[in-house]
Amino acid sequence: MSRQASGLQAWAVQRLTAIYLGGFFIYLIVAVLLDPPASVELWRARFGGVASVAWLLFVLALCWHAWIGIRDVVLDYIHPPVWRLSALVAFGGGLVACALWGFKIILLAAGG
Amino acid sequence: MAQSLGREPMKFEIYRYHPETDSKPRMQAYEVEVERGMMLRDALLAIQAEDETFAFRHSCGEGVCGSDGVNVNGVNCLACTTPVSELKPPVQVRPMPGRPVIRDLVVDMSQFYNQYQSVDPWLKRTEPNPEHEIRQSPAHRDQLDGLYECIMCGCCSTSCPSFWWNPDKFLGPQALLTAARFVLDSRDQATAQRLDALEGPYKLFRCHTIMSCVEVCPKGLNPTRAIGQLKAMMLKDAV
Ligand code: SF4
Ligand code: SF4
Ligand code: FES
Repeated sequence: MSRQASGLQAWAVQRLTAIYLGGFFIYLIVAVLLDPPASVELWRARFGGVASVAWLLFVLALCWHAWIGIRDVVLDYIHPPVWRLSALVAFGGGLVACALWGFKIILLAAGG
Repeated sequence: MAQSLGREPMKFEIYRYHPETDSKPRMQAYEVEVERGMMLRDALLAIQAEDETFAFRHSCGEGVCGSDGVNVNGVNCLACTTPVSELKPPVQVRPMPGRPVIRDLVVDMSQFYNQYQSVDPWLKRTEPNPEHEIRQSPAHRDQLDGLYECIMCGCCSTSCPSFWWNPDKFLGPQALLTAARFVLDSRDQATAQRLDALEGPYKLFRCHTIMSCVEVCPKGLNPTRAIGQLKAMMLKDAV
């Protein structure tokens, strides 16, 4: 991670992803309230085409946002280097796994 | 709490600790006859008159020198500008949190001063200094309002959770307010250098906008706003 990525950039990304997440959540809630999908097929249709890109971005933004947040907590509270590195690796690895899993779900839904 | 005209006894509990002789700190109870208009500093002086082993710092008595920051009922303040009538008894007075105690309410503020020093708190010029003063427009002068008034009491930094966790790496609200004071000064010519020096995850970006600093500043300053200005300027620089 570059010096840039660790301070200002992380802070800016945290804000940008928050905006995307907020917007996407509102869109989701409104979309489901106005037009609740009646069947699994209709649900799946919501993941096709442009929507799949929006969903992929959503998972990416969610995990990236979570990473910056959890990294902040770790930097604040966990000081011994070994514990800190272990925590960062565990959370980072977990988030990458979540992201990959999310991508898989979206792509399967979009393709199926 | 409403106060009548006459003297009234008021209960105080004061943090006492003499690291060389005491194994651990204790709270000691005192009673002070409080008068109308009495400040906490006056009450501490009355306690000291009664018990001369009790130590605390103070000097100007009017919120200018910044030496009598203490933690009262859990909130940092200057003893000399805090009326006892506003405090709920028993008034618990402790040293400012997170600093090593030298004795009773006297704490070691070296780290806090070092952080202040690390932001180079003086005007930097690349051009040679002119013969006359460097002029500033009234608008540019206005930029310094809310920044230059800091008396370095430390009430803000010692109530900042981020400063508690990383006092060696996070500069804390006081030093960051000072950094903003020079970054925003039209006469200073080291803006980019100052902003670069704040990069990285710690010095500036440990601030999570909790705003504990704003709540306690006895001069009514807003370090959180100054920190926001620094972040905004860094962002503008980067894009
Ligand atoms: S706003 Fe920032 S500097 Fe002020 S108390 Fe909170 S974390 Fe500390
Ligand atoms: S900003 Fe306020 S609380 Fe902080 S050191 Fe300066 S005067 Fe004290
Ligand atoms: S004694 Fe100087 S600020 Fe309180």
